[in-house]
Amino acid sequence: MEDEYELLRDTVKEFSEKNLDEKRIETGGIVENIIQNIASQGFLGAKIPSKFGGSELDEKSYNIILREISKYSPSVAMKIFILNSLYYPLVKNTEMESTLSDASSGKMNVSVDFLNKNKIEGEKFNGTLNDILNADSNNIIVFGKGPSLVNGGTVMEKDFMGFRGLKFGDIKIESELQHINTKVTLNDILEDSYNAISSINLGLISGALDKAMEYSTIRKAFDSPLSSYEPVAFNLSRMVSQKNILETILNNNIDSYYALNFSMNILVETTRYALNVHGGYGYFGDFGVEKFYRDAMVMRSIFYGNSDLKKLSGHVYGNKVGFI
Amino acid sequence: MFDELSDYRKKIREFALREFTEETSERYDRNEEFPFEIAKKSLSLGMVDMENPAKILIAIEEMCRVDAGLGISATLPYFGGEVLFLFGNDKQKKILNDVYHGKVMLSLGITEPSGGSDVAGLKTFAKKSGNKYILNGSKMFISNGAIADYMVVLARTSEEEKRHHGLSTFLVNTKSRGFKATKLENKLGVRATNTAEIEFNDVELSEDDLIGEEGKGFYYIMTFFNISRIYVAGQALGISEGAFDKIKGYVKTNNITDEATMFEVADVSTRIEAARQLTYNAASYLFKYDPKPELTSMAKAYAGETAVYSSEKAMEITGKSPDESIQRIFRNAKIMEIWEGTSEVEKLVISRQILKGD
Repeated sequence: MEDEYELLRDTVKEFSEKNLDEKRIETGGIVENIIQNIASQGFLGAKIPSKFGGSELDEKSYNIILREISKYSPSVAMKIFILNSLYYPLVKNTEMESTLSDASSGKMNVSVDFLNKNKIEGEKFNGTLNDILNADSNNIIVFGKGPSLVNGGTVMEKDFMGFRGLKFGDIKIESELQHINTKVTLNDILEDSYNAISSINLGLISGALDKAMEYSTIRKAFDSPLSSYEPVAFNLSRMVSQKNILETILNNNIDSYYALNFSMNILVETTRYALNVHGGYGYFGDFGVEKFYRDAMVMRSIFYGNSDLKKLSGHVYGNKVGFI
Repeated sequence: MFDELSDYRKKIREFALREFTEETSERYDRNEEFPFEIAKKSLSLGMVDMENPAKILIAIEEMCRVDAGLGISATLPYFGGEVLFLFGNDKQKKILNDVYHGKVMLSLGITEPSGGSDVAGLKTFAKKSGNKYILNGSKMFISNGAIADYMVVLARTSEEEKRHHGLSTFLVNTKSRGFKATKLENKLGVRATNTAEIEFNDVELSEDDLIGEEGKGFYYIMTFFNISRIYVAGQALGISEGAFDKIKGYVKTNNITDEATMFEVADVSTRIEAARQLTYNAASYLFKYDPKPELTSMAKAYAGETAVYSSEKAMEITGKSPDESIQRIFRNAKIMEIWEGTSEVEKLVISRQILKGD
């Protein structure tokens, strides 16, 4: 990795170690102080153009930020992802673009109905939006024939096992619909986000493995460290090698389709095994490893499915396949 | 053995569906609260028939199919009772009747902070002093630990060359002076169950509190594991079936017919059927007093892994519809690969037993 990226990685790592305690964030949310910190560091508006107060970083830098932050606080990484990978491309070059200034400075919280659970049409919306992550947002983009912006409302929280630092739930809304004049679709932004999603996955994998590797050398069973047992040593070593392969794919921007599919294939297994290594302790939140398994399962469930496998197949074959 | 109990299974399922509503399951899970009333009800109504182990297994399976947090809580009040039933004296056995009817709650203390898998390495010590034992040490991750009336405790009574020779089991009244239980919170799943850390500070025990013979504790607990692992396999089987119920419901409701999903449905159902056959087969030997440890461990490990696999598939297939009940199944499933012997420990048992046989 080039020097400038290494420097960025070290900066984000140092910041995250010092400021991001996911256990506290999961129970108390991403408080104002943290938002101001990630905004002033330029992480919140990582990809947003500088004219809107963002850092206007390149893709590789953005992905490094997501990766390093999700090792420590997957919730904060998801918040950054929602703004930069989902909201920003939808309002880019439209009259809603000006909202980016407040969003990148942390004054305005934004979200996108990326689960696509609500079909909203017309000029006004008076009703309930279902299943929105980062639900306590001022501005939410919903989809009907095209994307529209609605104002936030009263959140009815639901239990969501992933990214617990962000509110998740239904929102009672009474708002005008501001139609966004763009040709960009939800499908487009999700496909363009493959490397960003894979970077969050890499962060989860790395965070979980760091904990498991450390624990395996400290914890003893039958008078020997766990790492002295073949199954533990072999499994963790295999998983670290897979993590390094994923890192190489992402660092060199080899192929976003491969990156997504590879990361999704190793994500749940790795975070699950990291929990396993911790035995009974891993099942408790205090050890900070079970959260990676929860978040990993959520990533796998909501950002990967048959439609992504169809895209991968089309990419590999070069034409439409697997359609019967 | 199990086919003959279809009416009993139906009765348990109806009870679980009636009592373990989504709202109730959610509430106990969120609050990390033990469902005393439900546990008592299931026992006092004779829902869990303690006289017939096959019925216990079916009750565990069917209750965990609806909700593992509540299901395990409702079937756990007699946890460790088998040690008393098999090896206890008459006085100790007397409490079993109250246990079976939900009046007295039991617990079992084996795991210690320094190690779960290495049972023979435990450090809790019961030192003989005249006609008494003085118990000191600590236990970790003890189910029912903070709510039990009595705890079956495995402790070291002598330093032998072979570590497992110096262990003994005791029945400890949790109201004894020097007994302290601290509830552990923030579990990933099965949050309705009570889990605690236990401290023994000069807890005084009489000779009558010794279960069976001194120095035989390791053997008693390994015998117990042959039984309890079957019940954990039952928990895991129930969780797997519950996950599959969700998958079927989602696929049918949304009229999903694509081949990739159909193959997933086939894989999950095949694994569950294999786990069921393994569990029932191992149980049929155990319930004839002829346990096969390798079969028991195969059933426990495979059913545990199937629970995790099925719950992950339920999450994947239902994907963008993050239903709370499916998330709860996912969170509950993982413990199946950990408690009563991790999958790694089960694999050691299986390979040693299989190779010993030749």
